[in-house]
Amino acid sequence: MFEYFYHEILRKTIIGFGTLFNEISIQKKDDSNNVFSVIRVPLAYGPTQKFLARLEQQPNLNTPVQITLPRMSFEFVGLSYDQTRKVTSTQTFLTSSVSDQTDVKKVYMPVPYNMEFELNIMCKINDDMLQIIEQIIPYFQPSYNLTIDLVKTIGEKRDIPIVLENITMRDDYEGDFSTRRALIYTLRFTAKTYLFGPVSTGAGKDIVKKVTLGFVSGDSNSTSRDLKYSAEPVATKDYDNSVATNLSENIEASNTAITVNNATNIPVKSYITIDDETLYVAKKDGNVLTVVRASYNTKAAPHVSGTAIKTITSADNALIQFGDDFGFSGFSVS
Amino acid sequence: MLNPFFLQGSPNEQNLVQDLINEHLKIYGVDVYYLPRQYATTNKVIEEVVESEFKFAYPIEAYIDSYDGYGNQGTILSKFGIQELDDLTLVISRERYEVYISQLIKAIPDGKLTNRPKEGDLIYFPLGNRLFEIKYVEHEKPFYQLKKNYTYQLTCELFRYEDEVIDTGVDFIDDPTEFDGDGTGDDNTGRDQYATTVTLQLIGIGSTATASVGSILNGGVRFVSITNRGNGYTSPPKVGFSSSPVSGRTAVGFATMIGGIVDLCEPDSKKLRVQGVELSNPGFGYTVAPKVSFVGGGGGGAAATAYIGNGIVGIISVTNGGSGYLVRPTVTFVGVASVSAAATAYISPSGSVTEIRLTNAGLGYTQIPQIQISSPNIFVGVGTYIYNETVTGSRSGVTGKVKKWNVNTKVLEVSTVTGNFIPGENIVGAASSATYSLRSININNQTDKFAQNSDIENLANEILDFSEINPFGMP
Repeated sequence: MFEYFYHEILRKTIIGFGTLFNEISIQKKDDSNNVFSVIRVPLAYGPTQKFLARLEQQPNLNTPVQITLPRMSFEFVGLSYDQTRKVTSTQTFLTSSVSDQTDVKKVYMPVPYNMEFELNIMCKINDDMLQIIEQIIPYFQPSYNLTIDLVKTIGEKRDIPIVLENITMRDDYEGDFSTRRALIYTLRFTAKTYLFGPVSTGAGKDIVKKVTLGFVSGDSNSTSRDLKYSAEPVATKDYDNSVATNLSENIEASNTAITVNNATNIPVKSYITIDDETLYVAKKDGNVLTVVRASYNTKAAPHVSGTAIKTITSADNALIQFGDDFGFSGFSVS
Repeated sequence: MLNPFFLQGSPNEQNLVQDLINEHLKIYGVDVYYLPRQYATTNKVIEEVVESEFKFAYPIEAYIDSYDGYGNQGTILSKFGIQELDDLTLVISRERYEVYISQLIKAIPDGKLTNRPKEGDLIYFPLGNRLFEIKYVEHEKPFYQLKKNYTYQLTCELFRYEDEVIDTGVDFIDDPTEFDGDGTGDDNTGRDQYATTVTLQLIGIGSTATASVGSILNGGVRFVSITNRGNGYTSPPKVGFSSSPVSGRTAVGFATMIGGIVDLCEPDSKKLRVQGVELSNPGFGYTVAPKVSFVGGGGGGAAATAYIGNGIVGIISVTNGGSGYLVRPTVTFVGVASVSAAATAYISPSGSVTEIRLTNAGLGYTQIPQIQISSPNIFVGVGTYIYNETVTGSRSGVTGKVKKWNVNTKVLEVSTVTGNFIPGENIVGAASSATYSLRSININNQTDKFAQNSDIENLANEILDFSEINPFGMP
């Protein structure tokens, strides 16, 4: 049960959450309404190693100022199970591997968890704070959807709604003059993310690749099949890049007789591809092929002289990738 | 009723005490600088000073009340990074303030009260090279000796910096010894590392690109005339020419696109149409004009006719890409011909010419023509920017204050920027008159070591998919 896996889902959600706020800027205007300065509000993930913060933020010990403002920091503060989004745990889904299209991977349904985030904003003056808050709130109604590639190996992209739960404001302006004013707003968010278990590879062998249907006649003691149909998937495009010959003339989208350099390697009643179009070879006369254009739902297009003509053979059938369209071999009867 | 036979403080006695205090401060004190705040912009109702400037600094002797170190909590790590919560209590002479600083402040525009030290003003404390903000002025300590008060006690905290202009003209205050002006860009250990800055990549001197024509060819494609622009393209389609006879060479071309045309065939203004064909190689040896076809690009219907001829310009090689180009230079062919050749130059983001493609290969050349590429139309940069001077964009009118200047890499860092500079404009220094052309802008607050905006953005680029936008989740 406990094999190692780590999809970095929590980390990715944290980074995704952070991106929402990294382009906020504030403007200051003078009395005649001219922009005086534009500040892009610095944002960082709050928790950090203490020594690292000291080394990076105070390389020279004599910090000339207390802090620069405004600043924003965000923090991952809680994780809770979300039963409203639960699906059957025995359900799996198959997907082709992103790196190797021929491999099929299997993963169980993820478990839904809510990540709680806090975004803290500290400003020197209220005007800055109101500018920042107004740029954030309209996007959350009350949620904003982020599409995050949660599990890279299977290319699983999920919409993660980020819900703005509440806003608390702290403004310590009262009191004696020895205490500092702290103007801090805290926005609490919930990111509805999904946690995936381990991804198992090599699930391709479990895929049905041949269907056989047998008919038995006679009484119930009869066991031999009298009639059998079987069908196998065939490729609808060329995978192994097998160039048979080249076009010897420009052809338009409507031409059905096409001339090639050498038609020897092109069998009759087979499929060929030119650019993105698949054609059916109905007849062959020397180097002139009579074809059916735009087969397998491709689009008829003009092709330039010299374009490679690729054949679709049984070698291509073995290379059909997970998720691709495919045809059927027709029935073979025995 | 007080005893009239005793004097509880005469002006002479009071003056004596004040003089003694002044003398003590001058013996035991530290020279600090008093920076009065100028209120540039103030908000009413939610009353705040939106913009402040500190343009004056007056030295005054002060006694450090907290002699065993700064008060308060010292350095702490907070949600918002490291904060220095140092306090400092200073005592200054009342008389010295009133007869000296007070008189000078009266002349300052946008100042407020002048008769006393005021909260919000800054104190530059030279021992720590730090700026403190006065948060409270205590005027009754010690309490009415000989019926008068002689000192102000200033309770200060370290300054919280935003975008205040600190431009006092005193070098070590404005620029804590780091902007040495040698232009090597090492000026980054002072207060400026805390300011929000914009980095401008400027151009020094541009150089003109050169190119040459390989040969004069016969039976090559002169130009391609578009007979149907087609529609529905999302990217430029590949251009195919019919093969040339064996002894020749097939032409190679690229489609140039046009967008924004809306008609019945194509209601989507974002879709592109074929506008022309540029030749990177006109080919040669054709005896009849080749057919032209357009493949891919997501659309269809484009058609074109190629024209061939003799004595045309062959492949153009860029011999020197030059530098400093902001816009495509013009390309001129110098030579005798019945029809002169024409070409388009392509430039890289770094500003040099990378490729020249023929729009018309000419006709009837008997000798290889010369190619003239226009020079980069930039001002040759001169001068050295001065720390804290105001620089202005010549076209945008945007201003900023110089924080760093590196003469070698031509990188200028400015703060307190009022808008967006426009690439191509000249950046002019108000005091130094230094002028350079702007190539590119990088809005960068990474000088603030707290900020992780760019890091977050870079990491997120790999995992976020903004191509799928939820139409219901946006404002």
